[in-house]
Amino acid sequence: MSHFLERLTYLSRKRETFANGHGELRDEDRMWEEGYRQRWQHDKIVRSTHGVNCTGSCSWKIYVKSGVVTWEMQQTDYPRTRPGMPNHEPRGCSRGASYSWYLYSASRIKYPLVRGRLIKAWREARKTLQPVEAWASIAGNAATAKSYKSMRGRGGFVRSTWDEVSEIIAAANIHTIKTWGPDRVVGFSPIPAMSMVSYASGSRYLSLIGGTLLSFYDWYCDLPPSSPQTWGEQTDVPESADWYNSGYIIAWGSNVPQTRTPDAHFFVEARYNGTKVVAITPDYAEVAKLSDLWLHPKQGTDAALAMAMGHVILREFFLDRQVPYFQDYTRRYTDMPMLVRLRRDGVRWVPDRYLRQSDLVDAPKSGRADWKTVAVAEETGALVVPQGAIGYRWPAEGEAKGRWNLEEKDGETGEDVRLALSVADRRDDVVPVAFPYFGGKPHEHFPENDQGGDVLLRNLPVRRVVLADGEAHVATVFDLLCANYGLDRGLGGDCATSFEDDVPYTPAWQESITGVAADKAIALARGFAENAEKTKGRSMVIIGAGMNHWYHQDMGYRSIINVLMMCGTVGVSGGGWAHYVGQEKLRPQTGWTMLAFALDWVRPPRQMNGTSFFYAHSDQWRYEKLDVAELLSPLADPAPYRGSMIDLNVRAERMGWLPSAPQLATNPLTLAAEADKAGAAVKDHVVAGLKSGSLQMACEDPDNPANFPRNLFIWRSNLFGSSGKGHEYFLRHFLGTRHGLQGKDLGEMGGVKPQEVAWRDPAPEGKLDLVVTLDFRMSTSCLYSDIVLPTATWYEKNDLNTSDMHPFIHPLSAAVDPVWESRSDWETYKTIAKRFSELAEGHLGVERDVVLIPIQHDTAGELAQPFEVKDWKKRECDLVPGVTAPQIAVVERDYPNTYRRFTALGPLADKLGNGGKGIGWNTEREVNGLGGLNYRVKDGGPTDGRPRIETDIDAAETIMYLAPETNGEVAVKAWEALGKITGRDHAHLARMREDEKIRFRDIQAQPRKIISSPTWSGIESEHVSYTAGYTNVNELIPWRTITGRQQFYQDHRWLRDFGESLAVYRPPIDTRTVADMLGKRSNGEAEIVLNFITPHQKWGIHSTYTDNLLMLTLSRGGPIVWVSETDAKKAGIVDNDWIELFNLNGAIAARAVVSQRVHEGMCMMYHAQEKIVNVPGSQITGLRGGIHNSVTRTVLKPTHMVGGYAQLSYGFNYYGTVGSNRDEFVIVRKLNKIDWLDHSNPVDRAVEEAAS
Amino acid sequence: MLLFKAMSALLSYPSEEMRLALPEIADIVGKAPLLDPVRRDELLALIDELAQGQLLTVEERYVDLFDRGRALSLHLFEHLHGESRDRGEAMVELKRLYERAGFELAARELPDYLPVLLEYLSCRDLAEARDMLSDCAHILATIGRSLVARRSRYAAVLQALLVIAGERPIEVDKVPPVEDRPEALDRDWVEQPAFGGPLASVDPAAGAPAAQRRT
Repeated sequence: MSHFLERLTYLSRKRETFANGHGELRDEDRMWEEGYRQRWQHDKIVRSTHGVNCTGSCSWKIYVKSGVVTWEMQQTDYPRTRPGMPNHEPRGCSRGASYSWYLYSASRIKYPLVRGRLIKAWREARKTLQPVEAWASIAGNAATAKSYKSMRGRGGFVRSTWDEVSEIIAAANIHTIKTWGPDRVVGFSPIPAMSMVSYASGSRYLSLIGGTLLSFYDWYCDLPPSSPQTWGEQTDVPESADWYNSGYIIAWGSNVPQTRTPDAHFFVEARYNGTKVVAITPDYAEVAKLSDLWLHPKQGTDAALAMAMGHVILREFFLDRQVPYFQDYTRRYTDMPMLVRLRRDGVRWVPDRYLRQSDLVDAPKSGRADWKTVAVAEETGALVVPQGAIGYRWPAEGEAKGRWNLEEKDGETGEDVRLALSVADRRDDVVPVAFPYFGGKPHEHFPENDQGGDVLLRNLPVRRVVLADGEAHVATVFDLLCANYGLDRGLGGDCATSFEDDVPYTPAWQESITGVAADKAIALARGFAENAEKTKGRSMVIIGAGMNHWYHQDMGYRSIINVLMMCGTVGVSGGGWAHYVGQEKLRPQTGWTMLAFALDWVRPPRQMNGTSFFYAHSDQWRYEKLDVAELLSPLADPAPYRGSMIDLNVRAERMGWLPSAPQLATNPLTLAAEADKAGAAVKDHVVAGLKSGSLQMACEDPDNPANFPRNLFIWRSNLFGSSGKGHEYFLRHFLGTRHGLQGKDLGEMGGVKPQEVAWRDPAPEGKLDLVVTLDFRMSTSCLYSDIVLPTATWYEKNDLNTSDMHPFIHPLSAAVDPVWESRSDWETYKTIAKRFSELAEGHLGVERDVVLIPIQHDTAGELAQPFEVKDWKKRECDLVPGVTAPQIAVVERDYPNTYRRFTALGPLADKLGNGGKGIGWNTEREVNGLGGLNYRVKDGGPTDGRPRIETDIDAAETIMYLAPETNGEVAVKAWEALGKITGRDHAHLARMREDEKIRFRDIQAQPRKIISSPTWSGIESEHVSYTAGYTNVNELIPWRTITGRQQFYQDHRWLRDFGESLAVYRPPIDTRTVADMLGKRSNGEAEIVLNFITPHQKWGIHSTYTDNLLMLTLSRGGPIVWVSETDAKKAGIVDNDWIELFNLNGAIAARAVVSQRVHEGMCMMYHAQEKIVNVPGSQITGLRGGIHNSVTRTVLKPTHMVGGYAQLSYGFNYYGTVGSNRDEFVIVRKLNKIDWLDHSNPVDRAVEEAAS
Repeated sequence: MLLFKAMSALLSYPSEEMRLALPEIADIVGKAPLLDPVRRDELLALIDELAQGQLLTVEERYVDLFDRGRALSLHLFEHLHGESRDRGEAMVELKRLYERAGFELAARELPDYLPVLLEYLSCRDLAEARDMLSDCAHILATIGRSLVARRSRYAAVLQALLVIAGERPIEVDKVPPVEDRPEALDRDWVEQPAFGGPLASVDPAAGAPAAQRRT
C-alpha cells in the first residue's frame, strides 16, 4: 500500500515541537481521556459487609455510579489497636470478594415466585372465596395439597406479585392460628449477629403472632454444650487480636487460615512474637502449614490425647511439684475444692452429687441452701459454704444480698477463708471409687484399649463427715480428678506409676487409640503448661468444628477445657478457650432481644430448640437405632432410662427442661375461654388438664395432624440444604416429596417402638402446608419451598453486624436500592404483617394465648430441681409449673394490630425494663430518647405516642440505643445493677464512656469499638484485648454455674448416669447405617467404608455460597469429596472420578479428589455444597445425587436434654440437643454410569399423574 | 421499528396483557420487511405457542428457561462479563447511552436485559439498531444456540435478530439437543494449556480439573 490517499497534499497540521522534536504540542479534543477519568469516578462510596453467615464482619467499600455498583474494595480504616499490637487491617477474603456479583447475577431471584400448582389452586379458590377461606379450602383438600407438596424440589415456579404472595402467606398464617394454634407457625433463621435487623424482622413478626422460633446454634452443632456445663455461658471467646498475646497456641480441629481468613494474620504474627504454634488435625489442613508442630490423632479420638495431657499436667505440675499460680487459680476460680458426696455401691464407692449446705447439720431452712456447695477450709479443716454459689445469686426474700462473688469468704459469716484443694492430708480414709471406662468398647472402625472391664477402680482419699442424714463420705473434685486420670498418689490400688503404663489416661494409653506417639503428647502437655506457668496463663486452645461436630463432642471439649483450667488460662489475655464454630456474638444483645422477640409488646416469646424439633417433625425418631442403654454408664441403674431417645426428649419437655413446639395438642387460643367457662384460673385449668390427661402435650404425638407444624418461614438460611441433617427424612416426612431414603422405620423393621410417643401408621408425609423462603439466590431450600421471596443483598439494605473476632460494630448499608422486585427482610415482614393485620379482621381479634416456657437459665427459676429427677406424669412428684414442669403464661395478642405493633416500640419496654443474663434495669430514659430520635407515632391509633420503628435504620437505632454495648449510659446502669448482686463496684469499667452513644451513621463513618457491658465476660479497654472470663477473674464475678466456679465436675443425675460427670474418652457411636447396604446394591465396582467428615471449605462457607461461579471455577465446578490415596486405590478410584457415597440415610454423587492430605479410613465432603450445581443422578436412589446431608441423620444425646438445674437450664441457643454428624460412615464406590436425569424436567409422567 | 418492540414483548415475562396483544404482534411480524419467510414462520409459531394453553403453563416455561441460570440469561452482560467487575461499568455505559437518547429506565430492570435493549432499539433508526445488534451478535448467538439446543420456540426471536444484524442464523441441525453430558461440561470447563498445545489434546476423562471459564 502506498498510503497515497492518506497523505495530505494541500493541507498541513498545525505543529509545534519542543525538546528537540521529541515532544509535540497539540490542540485537539481530549474527550477520549474522559473514559479513563470516569472509570474511577463514583457518585458515592458506601460501607457494607458480607453477612452470609460469616463472623468476619469485614469492612468493604462499595462504589456506586449511576445507581449501579461498579466496584468494591477492602476498607482499611478500623480504629487502630493500642501500641504494641498489630492492626486489624486488612480484613476480607476471596469468598467475600467474590460475593458481590450475586447482586446482578443470573442466579439472583428477581421476582416473588410461587409453585405453579399452588397458585393455580389459589386463583381458582379466590374466584369465589375470601383469602382465609381460600387457604382453608386448599390446605383442607388432601388431593390439592398433595398435588403441590409432591412437586417440591421439582421446579414449576411462576412469578407472582407482592400483593398476591403476601395475601397467601397472611391467609395461611391466619387459618393456621385459628384452626391449629399460633405455635404451628414456625420460623427458622440463624446467626442474628450477621444481620441482626434482618433476623429481627421475621422474629418480631412471629413473636407478635405467637409463632415459634427455632434455635440454630445447637442445630448446626456449633453450640458446645460443654460451655454451658462448665461456665454457665453459651460461648464467650477472645477476639482474634488476643492470639497475638499468647505464648502457646494449639489450633485443635480449627483450620484458621481457611475458615477465619481475615483473622489468620494474628495467628502468623504471634509466631513472629515468639509464640509456639501447634496444629492438631486429622488431615494435613492449611493450619498445619503455619504451625511448628502438627499432630494428627485419628479423627474423633482427640479426647484421648487431651486426657493424656491432663494426666501429664496433674502429675508434673500439681502432684510432683506445686505451681503456686496453678494452685491459686484452681482454688479460687474452679470447683476443684468443692466436696462431692460418695455413694456406696457394694464394696466400692461411686461419686455422687456435690455436698450442699442443706445437707449440713443445722442448715438454714431456706430453699437456697440446696443451691450452695460446700468445701473445706484449708487452715481448720472445717466445712465451709463459700460465697459465689448460685444460691447466693438469687437470695430469697429477706436473705443477704451482695454475696454472689468470688472473694475468698465464707458466705454465711463473711469471714476470710482459703479453701483446700485436696483432703489427702486430712483424710479419714482411703476407699476404692469406681469410674466408668468407655475406651475398651469395641468399634469396627476405631481402636479400643481393653482394660478388662468398663469400670476403673481407683483409691481415693476421703473425709467422713456427719450430715443431717447421718455420716457420709466426701471427697474434693481435685481428688476425684486425680483418681479419674489414673494418677498414683501413693495410696495404692490400680493407677499409673509412669507415663509408659498402659493405664487410662496415660500418654502411652492414648497412643494406642489416637496413634499419636506418647512422647509427643508428653512434650505437648509440658510445653503448654510450662508456658502457662511462666506467663501466668497465656496458653490458648483455638478449637473448631473438627472437635465440635462429633456425637461425644463434650468429652473432647471438656478434656481440653480441663487442661485450660488446670493451667489457669481462662480469663487471662492470651490464654483460654477460643471456640470459633458458628461464631455468634451479638454484641448489642439486650437491645436486640427487645426488638427481635417483641418483648416490648408481649412476653414471653415462643422459642424452641431446633434439633429436637426437626428430630421429631422430620420423623427421624422413627428410624432411631442408637439404644439409650449403649450410652449409659456401667455404674448407672438403667431402669429410669427405658425407652428411646425421643422418650427421653418427651420427658425432658414434660419436666420443663426443654421447650416444646407445638406445645399442646390443643389450640392454645381456646384454653383461656375454656377456663373462664369452668370458672378456673387459666393456669390452674391447664395444670388440671395436663394432670387428668384431658390436655396433652403435643410432643407425645408428633405425627398427629393436629400437632403438625403447618407454616414454615426460612430466611437468611439454607435450612433444607446446608443445615438439614437427615436431608432425605426432611424430604419424605416434613415436605412430602421425592426422597432417597433407603432405610426402613422401626414399624417396618419390627423394632422396639418408643413408649412415650404415639406410633402412627402410615408415617405422615408432607406435614407442612406452606413453606416460605426469603433469599436472593435459588438455594436448595428455595427449590423445596412453595413461595420464594426475593430479598435484598448486603449492598441493598441497612443492618448491623458484629463478631466475636473483633470488638467493632459494623453496618450493612444500602448502596443501591434492591434490584428487580426484591425487598429487604425488614420491608418483607412489614408487608406480610400489614396484610396479616388486614385479613385478621373477622377471624382473629384480641386473643388470649397459653404459652409454655421451659425453666430458664439466668432467672431465679433455674433453682428448680436441686436433687433427683422426677416426672409428674409418672406421679413421682406434683405438677408445679416452673418447678417440676414448664412455666405456664397467658399472653394477650392483638392480631388486627400486628402491623402497628411491629412498627412501634411497645409499652413493656418502659414498664418492665430491659436486661439480660440475670441483670435488669430501667429503660424509661432510653425509650424517651428513641421517641425523639425516631419520632413518635402520631395517628391516634392504639400505638399513638410510641417511638416509631418504621425503617431498617429505625430498627438499628432502637437496638443500639437500648443496648449497653452501644449506649454508655445504659452500660453504667447495667454494671450498677450487677454490682447489687455481687456486692462489688463494676461501674468503673464503663464510667469513662458514659456519655457515648453509638448511632447508625457513626458506624457507617467508621466501625466503632463497643462499650464494656456485663452481658459479656470480657472488657473493651486500652490495656487488654477482649478475652472471655476476664471479669470473672478480675472483677470476681462468679461464673453462672451451680458452684459459681468453672466446673470440672457435673453432678446432675443424668450426667452422672450417662458417665460424664468427669471428662472421659468416649469413642464415636455406631450409627448402624452401613452394614445393611454394603454389597447389597452392587454396580460392579469395589465398595469401601469410610468415615464421613464435613469440614468447612476454601471455596464457599462462610462468606459466600457454593454456587458462586468464581469460587466454583477455582475449585472443581461442583460437589467434591476428598479421599486418601490408599482408599482410592482399594476402590479403583482415580482423581476426578465420579463417585457415589451412600448408606441407609441416602446417597450423594460427587467427584473424587484423591489426596495425600487425607487419612486412610475417612473422606471429607466440604460442608454446604449445593445440590443445584453439576450434580448427576445416584445409581442407588435414581434421583439427583443428594447433598452432603443426604447421608446423615440426627441422633440426640440425652445429657443435652437436661434442664431445670442451674447452668443446665434451658436458654434459646444456649443449651439443648445438638445435630452432630461426624460419627457417620458411608459406602464409597465409583459411579460407572453418569445420568444427568434431564428427562426428569419438565415432568416424570407417571409420578405426575399419580400426584394429580 | 415496532418489530423490535414486538420482539421485546415476546421475550418478556408472559402476562395476560401480552397474550391479548399477540394478534397485534403477529400482524407486525407478518408484515415486517426485515424478516424472511423462514424467520417469520418461526416467530409466528412462537406466538402461536404463547397463545396456547393456560397462562400459568406459559409462565412456568418462562421461569424454567430464563429465570434459573446463566446459560439462558437474557441479561446480555451475564454472557459478556459474567461475575467480573467490568459488569457494573458496562451497565453504567449502557444506561448513559439510553440517557443520551432521552430515555431513563423506568422499570426495576437492569439496562442489559434484552427486552429493554430491544425496546430502546424500537425507538431508534434501523442503522443504529443494526449496529448495536451486530455488536452483540455473538451474545445473541450464544443465547440462541442454547435455545435451539433446548428446541425452544423462543429461539425464533434470537434467530431473527441475528439475521437483522446481518449474521448467519444458527443451523439447527448442527446443534445437538441439550443433554448436559459430562463430556460436554468438561470440555466447557477444561483449563486452557498455558503454552501452546491444541485444546483437543486434553482428555477430559483423564481428569483435568476445570479451572477457567473458556473465553
